[in-house]
Amino acid sequence: MKSHARLAAAFLKQEKRAHWHDQALWYVREKRDRMAASVPDWEALRETAQAIKRHALANLPRYLEEFEQNAAARGAIVHYALDPAEHNRIVLEVLKSKNARLVAKSKSMLSEECGLNEFLERNGVEVVETDLAERIIQLAGERPSHIVLPSIHIRKEEVGEIFHEHLGTEKGESDPTRLTRAARTHLREKFLAAQAGISGVNFAVAETGAVVICTNEGNADLGNSLPDLYIAVMGVEKVIPKTKDLGVFLRLLSRSATGQPISAYTSHLLGPRPGQEMHIVIVDNGRSEILQRERFYKAAFCIRCGACLNTCPVYRRSGGHSYNYVIPGPIGTILAMHRDLKKYKDMPYASTLCGSCTAVCPVKIDIHRQIVLWRNEVVEAGHLGRAKSAALKTATLGMKRTRLFRLGGWTVRKLLRSLPPFVFNNRLTIWGRSRDLPKMPAQSFRAEYRAHSKSKTNLSESGLNREGRS
Amino acid sequence: MTDTRRLILDRLRKHAIAGDTSYPAYSHPHAGISDLRRSFQSVIESVGGECRYVADLEAARKVISGSEILTAAKTICSHVKEVAEGNFDAEAKSDAHQCADVDLTIVRGALGVAENGAVWVNADPLRHRALLFLSENLILVIEGRDIVPDMESAYARIDFTRLRSGYFISGPSKTADIEQCLVIGAHGAKSVLVLVVG
Ligand code: SF4
Repeated sequence: MKSHARLAAAFLKQEKRAHWHDQALWYVREKRDRMAASVPDWEALRETAQAIKRHALANLPRYLEEFEQNAAARGAIVHYALDPAEHNRIVLEVLKSKNARLVAKSKSMLSEECGLNEFLERNGVEVVETDLAERIIQLAGERPSHIVLPSIHIRKEEVGEIFHEHLGTEKGESDPTRLTRAARTHLREKFLAAQAGISGVNFAVAETGAVVICTNEGNADLGNSLPDLYIAVMGVEKVIPKTKDLGVFLRLLSRSATGQPISAYTSHLLGPRPGQEMHIVIVDNGRSEILQRERFYKAAFCIRCGACLNTCPVYRRSGGHSYNYVIPGPIGTILAMHRDLKKYKDMPYASTLCGSCTAVCPVKIDIHRQIVLWRNEVVEAGHLGRAKSAALKTATLGMKRTRLFRLGGWTVRKLLRSLPPFVFNNRLTIWGRSRDLPKMPAQSFRAEYRAHSKSKTNLSESGLNREGRS
Repeated sequence: MTDTRRLILDRLRKHAIAGDTSYPAYSHPHAGISDLRRSFQSVIESVGGECRYVADLEAARKVISGSEILTAAKTICSHVKEVAEGNFDAEAKSDAHQCADVDLTIVRGALGVAENGAVWVNADPLRHRALLFLSENLILVIEGRDIVPDMESAYARIDFTRLRSGYFISGPSKTADIEQCLVIGAHGAKSVLVLVVG
C-alpha cells in the first residue's frame, strides 16, 4: 500500500488537474460560506445540532428502539447488522426472496464501507449506481474520491470517453449537458427495469419512524418509489429524536455540503408505498466502539456533508484517492484510525492541523484536535517510521534541556548559514524535497526577547518593530 | 437477528459521551426575512425554478394555458382540475411504470418555505408517488397564506401521524457531477413552476 505522501505526489504530477481540483473545491467552500453567512443564527444552529447529536447518541438504544417500533408499525421490516458481512448477507437474502436481479442504487457511503456492490455482483445481482457521479465511477471501475462529489477527480473529457465506451455517446463528446442527458436516458431504462431500489439514509426520525433522504437528482426518489422492493441501509448514528430536529439538520446539511439552501428533493418515507415491501438495515460496524472512546466519540456525530474535505488544504491538493481509507479527507482520517491504526497510520500526517475542518463542521466535531491525538496514538503504538521517530526523539531531548537547546540553536544558526543549500535540499531529506529553509535570524529568540524587555519604553529602538516580530 | 440487535443495543449503552447530554431546548427562526413572498420567489429562481403569484385559481389557469410547457406537453396529468384538465389519468393506472412518459404533472403543495424555496408535497393523495419524479415537468400549486419563513415553522405545521410519504421539492432536479457544471434535469423534473394562489 502506498503512503498518502506518495499518492499525493503522483496526483500533483498532473499539475493542471491538481490545480483545477483545488479551485473547484474551493469554489464549493466559498458557496458554503455565503450560505452560512445568510443564515442569521448559523453558529447557534451548529451548537444545537451538536447538542441534539450528543443527546441522541447518548440515548441511542432508546431512540433506535423507538424508531424501529414506529417504522415497523408503518409496515417497514427492520434488520440489525453488526458488520459488513451481516449487512451484505441480509441485503442479498432480501433481494433473493423477491427474486430481484437488477437493483437501482442511490449513493450510500455505508454501502461503500461494506463493499456491498462487489458482494452483490459476485452473487449474481446487477447493481446500477444511479447518482450520476457514482455511475461514472462505477463504469470507470474506480472508487469515490469524495463523499458528496464522488467523481470530482474526473474531467469531462474522461467522462466523455467512459460514456462513449459504455453508453455509446459520440466519440469526443464532452459537453456536460449532453453527457448528463445521455446518462438520464440510460438510467431511466434501468429505473424502469429494476426490481429493487437501495439507498442510504440521511436521517431516521425516532418519533415517527420516518426515513429521510436528500438528493438533487431525484434518483433515490425514483429508486424508492418505482420498484416493489426498497431497502434503506443506515448506520446506527443516523437516528435523531424528533421531526423538529430535521429543521436543524436540513438547514445545515446542504448549505455545508454544496452551498445550496436545501437539496432539490428531501423525501420522508414512513413505511412502504402500497404494494411495496420496505426493509431498513441498521448497521453498527464499529460505530459503537467509536462512541466508547473518550477522546474520539464525536467522530460519530458526522452527518457526511463533506465540508471538511472541501476546505482542507491537503485534501484539495492531493485528491481523495491519495487517502487509503474509503472515506478521504479530515473526517476519513478520524474514522479510518478506529478501523486500523497501523494500516492507516500515515493519514493523521496528511494534515496541516490548520483547523479549517473544525471551523466549518456543521456539528462541530473537534476534527483537527482528534487528528493530533491520533498522531499521539500512532507514536505510542510504535507505528511511526524510524526516521521520524529518531527526529522526534532528538527534538524531545533538546527541548527538555535548556542548555542543550541553546547550544543546538546556536549551532544551527551558524551552521546553516554557511552550508551550501544542496546539503539540505536533497532527495534524502524528506522535509527539504519541496521546501527551502527559512533565513536564519542573527540571534536567538531569547536574546531578542531580552533586548525587547530592556527597551520596553522605546520599542522602535529594539529593532523588533522593523522586523515585524514584536 | 435478535441476537445482533441485543448485542448492538448493549454495546451502545456503554458510550463515553461526556458533558450535558440532555435534549436541548431550542428555537432558531430564520429571522430577517422582511418579505416572505419575495424571498420565496427569489430562492426558487436561484435554484433554477420559476415562481409566479396569481390572484386566484382562474388566473392560475390562464398562466398555465399560456405557458410553453403546457403547449409542448403531450401527456398531461393534472391533480388540480381547477387549473388544468389534463389528458392522462394516473389514478386509473394500476402500475407507476405506466406513468413513465408523462410530460407534465400538476399537483398541490401544502406549504412553501421562504428560506430555501422548498414546497412540501404530501404524496399520499396520489396513487403513484413516483409520478412526482417521473414527470418531465412539474407545476406545484400552493396557497399564498401557506408560505412560512423557515424549516422550523414548516415542520411545526406538518402532521406526520398518518403521513406515508412527503417531499420537500426545491426547484428542478439537477446535478453538477461533471466538472461542477450545473445541469438542470438529472433524473427528475427538468422544470418546476410554483404557482402561488392568493
Ligand atoms: S466531519 Fe463535519 S464537516 Fe466533515 S463531513 Fe462530517 S459533518 Fe461534515
